[in-house]
Amino acid sequence: MAVTTEVAVPVAPRAKSGLAFWLGRNPTIVIGVAILAVLVASAFLAPWLAEDPLAFEPTNRLKRPSAEFWFGTDQFGRDVYSRVIYGTRISLAVGVSVAVLATALGLVLGIVCGYYKRVDAIVMRVMDGMMAIPSILLAIALITLMKASLTIVIIAITIPEIPRVVRLVRSVVLTVRAQPYIEAAIASGTRNLIIMVRHILPNTVAPLIVQGTYVCASAILTEAGLSFLGAGTPPEIPSWGNVISLGRSFFQISPWIIFFPGVLLAITVLAINLVGDGLRDSLDPRIARRM
Amino acid sequence: MTLLATADTEPAPAPASGDVILSVRDLRTQFFTRDGTVRAVDGLSYDLERGETLCIVGESGCGKSVSALSVMRLIPEDAGRIVGGSVTFEGTELTDMPEHEMRRIRGNRISMIFQEPMTSLNPVFTVGEQIAESLRIHQGLGGHAAAERAVEMLSLVKIADPRRRAGEYPHQLSGGMRQRVMIAIALACNPKVLIADEPTTALDVTIQAQILNLMLELKERLGTAIVLITHDLGVVAETAQRVIVMYAGRKVEEASVEELFRHPLHPYTRGLMGSIPRRSATGRRSGVRGRLQEIPGIVPSLREEIPGCAFAPRCSFAGERCSREKPPLEPHRPAHLAACWEVARVAATPR
Amino acid sequence: MSAAPAVAETVLRVRDLKKHFPIHRGVLSRVVGHVFAVDGVSFEIRRGETLCLVGESGCGKSTVAKTVMRLQEPTAGSVELNGTDITKLDQAELRSHRRQMQIVFQDPYSSLNPRMSAGAIVSEPLTNYELASGAELEQRIAQLFERVGLRADAMAKYPHEFSGGQRQRLGIARALAVNPRLIVADEPVSALDVSVQAQVLNLLVDLQEEFQLAYLFVSHDLAVVEHIGHRIAVMYLGRIVELADNADLFGTPLHPYTEALLEAAPLPEPGLKRERIILQGDVPSPMAPPPGCHFHTRCLYAQARCKAEVPALEEVAPDHWVACHFRTKGGPFGPLTRTDG
Repeated sequence: MAVTTEVAVPVAPRAKSGLAFWLGRNPTIVIGVAILAVLVASAFLAPWLAEDPLAFEPTNRLKRPSAEFWFGTDQFGRDVYSRVIYGTRISLAVGVSVAVLATALGLVLGIVCGYYKRVDAIVMRVMDGMMAIPSILLAIALITLMKASLTIVIIAITIPEIPRVVRLVRSVVLTVRAQPYIEAAIASGTRNLIIMVRHILPNTVAPLIVQGTYVCASAILTEAGLSFLGAGTPPEIPSWGNVISLGRSFFQISPWIIFFPGVLLAITVLAINLVGDGLRDSLDPRIARRM
Repeated sequence: MTLLATADTEPAPAPASGDVILSVRDLRTQFFTRDGTVRAVDGLSYDLERGETLCIVGESGCGKSVSALSVMRLIPEDAGRIVGGSVTFEGTELTDMPEHEMRRIRGNRISMIFQEPMTSLNPVFTVGEQIAESLRIHQGLGGHAAAERAVEMLSLVKIADPRRRAGEYPHQLSGGMRQRVMIAIALACNPKVLIADEPTTALDVTIQAQILNLMLELKERLGTAIVLITHDLGVVAETAQRVIVMYAGRKVEEASVEELFRHPLHPYTRGLMGSIPRRSATGRRSGVRGRLQEIPGIVPSLREEIPGCAFAPRCSFAGERCSREKPPLEPHRPAHLAACWEVARVAATPR
Repeated sequence: MSAAPAVAETVLRVRDLKKHFPIHRGVLSRVVGHVFAVDGVSFEIRRGETLCLVGESGCGKSTVAKTVMRLQEPTAGSVELNGTDITKLDQAELRSHRRQMQIVFQDPYSSLNPRMSAGAIVSEPLTNYELASGAELEQRIAQLFERVGLRADAMAKYPHEFSGGQRQRLGIARALAVNPRLIVADEPVSALDVSVQAQVLNLLVDLQEEFQLAYLFVSHDLAVVEHIGHRIAVMYLGRIVELADNADLFGTPLHPYTEALLEAAPLPEPGLKRERIILQGDVPSPMAPPPGCHFHTRCLYAQARCKAEVPALEEVAPDHWVACHFRTKGGPFGPLTRTDG
């Protein structure tokens, strides 16, 4: 779907190609995307960029950052740099999976709720109930019920994210539903499923993409939080949360163990949020016009 | 503003006596969009006399509302601006007046009411407070005096039980009553000019009749001159003394109301009159519905420069000259201006 | 209702239609009252005929249109389309009956999906009922475009590329696509400029003659109604107060409200400063309509009886129905006596 932004420009500058022009008007997206590109590249190229993140080297315990160990080593003599690079894979995988799962499920539930009043009454009360429980507690509870694995962590983080997506989609659907073109579609005999897919769904895409980026950022943070608490990704997997968790006890003497993964975590979340904000501003015509 | 006297600078139709209170000369307002410059008002001139009702009539996008906003200097700065011409009120030029001085004129000497009264009223203040505010700012009245005067204004616009209504919020009032409140706010400082932009379009016919009557009655009583902007020829016929017909940002015809309805000279004016379904049309009883006269085509885009007459593509009288040269606005009958190359042929054609 | 000679078959017969919207308040959203939007409305429309519903905002005319289309569920009453009561049909049956009635909306902007091309908008009803596909569909749409005065090559364009009048033509083409017998037109020209309004009204008249369509035409504009309507029903606060032929209604309006409505409409003839009746006050809230005759609070002729008794809609002259205590069968139909001070 082509995204057209209605931007009032006082004096039209020299005609630029569409995408370049659009990006030029949205510097936050450019910065965010650039940072994310580096992160994704390092996740994919981890085997070439880094050593084995699990390799023990008891002689190299708690080494300061140096030319040999860029980010230093931990208490087992593992290379923090390698662990952090591999950790990028985990964090991005969790963020993207949760974002896709939560928006997909939220989309379906939200559209059905917005369209059918009876379903709405039941589903929305369940969603309200879920929103009343702190998401990290809900995730911990789910993980303790099942055997810890990356999949379970993803599912546990996804479930508490769903209600927010449902609410968002539902509110869009309720607005669109009141449009006469929906009545026109009903009057001309369009089946409900087609109305939902053809007439309603396209309107939810823009806000969903934006919401998806926020879900992604929040999932990465939650995963790190869960791992830090020891309730998340199994400790043998080098996720940023696990690295920080292990480094916690040596924080006083070797702060680099938690400093580097912490900084990367912050940069990642910042980059995703920059993309999200940029998309929100350019996809929402009301804000775009003011820019 | 322009020293080059072109065919566009038209003679003032009205007697250039000292009676003119608001004078607009060659006003040009443009909006700047990504797709180009929109010439919303393209060289409009008119004079408004003291105590007169002048109607500006035209279809959406003809520039009638923008011309009013330009006079009030209410064009949003980031969207467009007045690029030429002058607006003089009681001999003072308004277009280059500093904003703080303009604020003293706006709402005080020249007032404006809009189509949708709900959006022009602040929902979190009572209507009494909103009338009193204008009085405190412009007339320097104290709190109590302003509140008393607000109640007086409400009774002037014939709101029953004004003291109670003054304490109510806009949402508690009906559409007609809100428009009465807007009129009360507009007239609170006893302005010399009232600009009413489609004041009854959002109202039902029975309420519209009440509001129009009220406006005309107050005009008589207070001596306010009114610029009434409307698309409804019925409203024009019942309220106006003089009428300006606008099309595509320009004035195409101007005459007294009787003259205009009796001898419309511009093909567009004729088209407008022909296309309104007329009550008591002929042939109804025989079961044959007469066809309405259509104006074919659509309003031109104001983004491109139109070399000739803007109406030419839709005009059945249009000749070769019409699409090439802009017709000057000239008197063709006493006190009757029209901008058309083919006036003689139009006038000779029965309606 | 009317036992008029069956000049043409009856397409739509509405009987005692009611639509009450519940008002919910509080946390438990208890029903604290109702908006009596439509409160017992009956009428018929024959083939090739236009019945106009006219009234001020809040009189329930649009709700009648939506309820007749069953875009809103009626509270009570029946809507017979070609002899079938559609209020009793389930969703699947209703869908097959919907082919016979289509709707044209007021707002030519929001009634077209901005993300669909003009061709897709008009083809939707055809594909819904599997009436055409492939090249045949293409051809049918081109025909429809041409019939409503649009160029067939405009099919690929999107709604925002059309003017208001052209969009309304698209809406009409969509309604026409499935060859309906009845078109419900809900203020179809009130969002348009007068010159364009004339184009659309002429188009509607031409289509009616060509396809013998029945129109339920909802409008607040008396001039439009007088131009297009064969019969006119005047509504006030959810009820029909007068129903008559065009010439009768505009020639001899019998209900005081009709009279006031005709008086209030400004005429494009200057110098015609009529001594006119201007109704005072506002329309009462449909949440608490006044007892008796709904109009008595604003009526110049109201008497004690009007506040207590609801006047029935009666045929006082051939095909001229009025709901007023002072108009009885056979007349007299002269001016009424004013009771106001």
